[in-house]
Amino acid sequence: MKATSEEVQARVKKLFKDGSIAHFIGYETGSDGLRVTPCFLKSGQAASRLVWNPLCANNLSKYLLDFKNVEGKVGIIVKGCDSRSVVELLKENQIDRDKVFIMGVPCSGIVDREKLLEVLGVSPGEVVAVEDDGDAFLVTLKKGKKRVDKEKVLRGECLVCKYPTPVVYDVLLGEAVSSLPWVGDDYKVIKEQEALSSEEKALYWNKELSRCIRCYACRNVCPVCTCPECIFDKKAPHWLTKANDISENLFYHLVRAFHVAGKCVDCGECERACPMNIPLRSLNKKVEKDLLELFDYTAGIDVEQQPPLTTFKVGDLDESL
Amino acid sequence: MQNTKEVKTEFEPKILAFCCNWCAYAGADLAGVSRFQMPTDVRVIRVMCSGRVPPELIIRALANGLDGVMVLGCHPGECHYSEGNYLTRRRAHVLKRLLDYIGIEPERFQLRWVSAAEGAKFSAVVKETTDKIKALGPNRWVDKK
Repeated sequence: MKATSEEVQARVKKLFKDGSIAHFIGYETGSDGLRVTPCFLKSGQAASRLVWNPLCANNLSKYLLDFKNVEGKVGIIVKGCDSRSVVELLKENQIDRDKVFIMGVPCSGIVDREKLLEVLGVSPGEVVAVEDDGDAFLVTLKKGKKRVDKEKVLRGECLVCKYPTPVVYDVLLGEAVSSLPWVGDDYKVIKEQEALSSEEKALYWNKELSRCIRCYACRNVCPVCTCPECIFDKKAPHWLTKANDISENLFYHLVRAFHVAGKCVDCGECERACPMNIPLRSLNKKVEKDLLELFDYTAGIDVEQQPPLTTFKVGDLDESL
Repeated sequence: MQNTKEVKTEFEPKILAFCCNWCAYAGADLAGVSRFQMPTDVRVIRVMCSGRVPPELIIRALANGLDGVMVLGCHPGECHYSEGNYLTRRRAHVLKRLLDYIGIEPERFQLRWVSAAEGAKFSAVVKETTDKIKALGPNRWVDKK
């Protein structure tokens, strides 16, 4: 059985009633039929606003940081990827496990809004609702219903997702999903990119990164970017100028990929937030792949596991003799 | 007066070398006082430890158009601060692969171990890196269009 909006609402109402939580972070219907937006509740009265459907893309774990100094427990709804970023926040002592109530929902893929609109050839106003229906999404339009194959309209990270079921939770709604049928080699795209020549890679990335307007949306939305003062905002040393220049863009993106190395759980929020459609996940995924190959490390699984770049072994690979 | 100066046509790379105070910097000094011959394309910056060199510094240098960056530290197990070079070694593996992925030849970044007694190795490393980067040509990543 899959979790439904009604189940989430009933559970949240009960949690508020028992006094187990003082706040809840969930999803509610957004401005059109294809959007959901984060929803913050202080009591069970408005719990009927909550929804859970294949449009719930936001990784809400970032909001836990805003609730650090709030009294009482904070409830949060998490998918597989979101729960892994919660693990990373716990690992870094950013949040207190005792102050968070985690409601896990197994996820079988989230819709990519742009892809769906393109496949259906409709405007956002015409879509009423999207439901999960096994290997397809059932889209209710103003005129009739349509079934769309999942593989055509899933978000990029969902296509390679290995952890559809939350890894940490207090309560799990619906049945656990062990694996997703469409997931094969999750590093296929990265390997293809690696096989290109230096010249081709430089051309490709120069083109992609030259679009960056450095709005820092990718950093601000990232659940593991938790530094109170970011290196990119610092004036002394002035690492990054405000110049509209490709070398500044290159610096920004490489350093960001490095700063989330070992913390990035591939929730795809950076790419979703990017107004210029830069393939940011590709950089993070590459680092993720290297960390797995070099140090056998996967982020966001175990709170006790030490991040690979903060430790070392005497017998580590040495390429520099 | 006739200008007898030859016009230089050969590519002279700009290479940055971060040398750790305790080993590589002393090694460079030894190479100097021992009068070992080596190319003059390397600019040395002294740091207290190779662990002090974060990826930001290396990326900043390459993004600004330098042709190569070397990080020279103590041999593993000989770090003045016990473990700085081990941490740098781990980061270097990841950085090298990331640079390669984005289209900057990984040879442009070299992490090497040079002890205070290895003046000859210092000059050899400098020569080898300079040759490699001369073969690669200038760092033109930012001009790619």
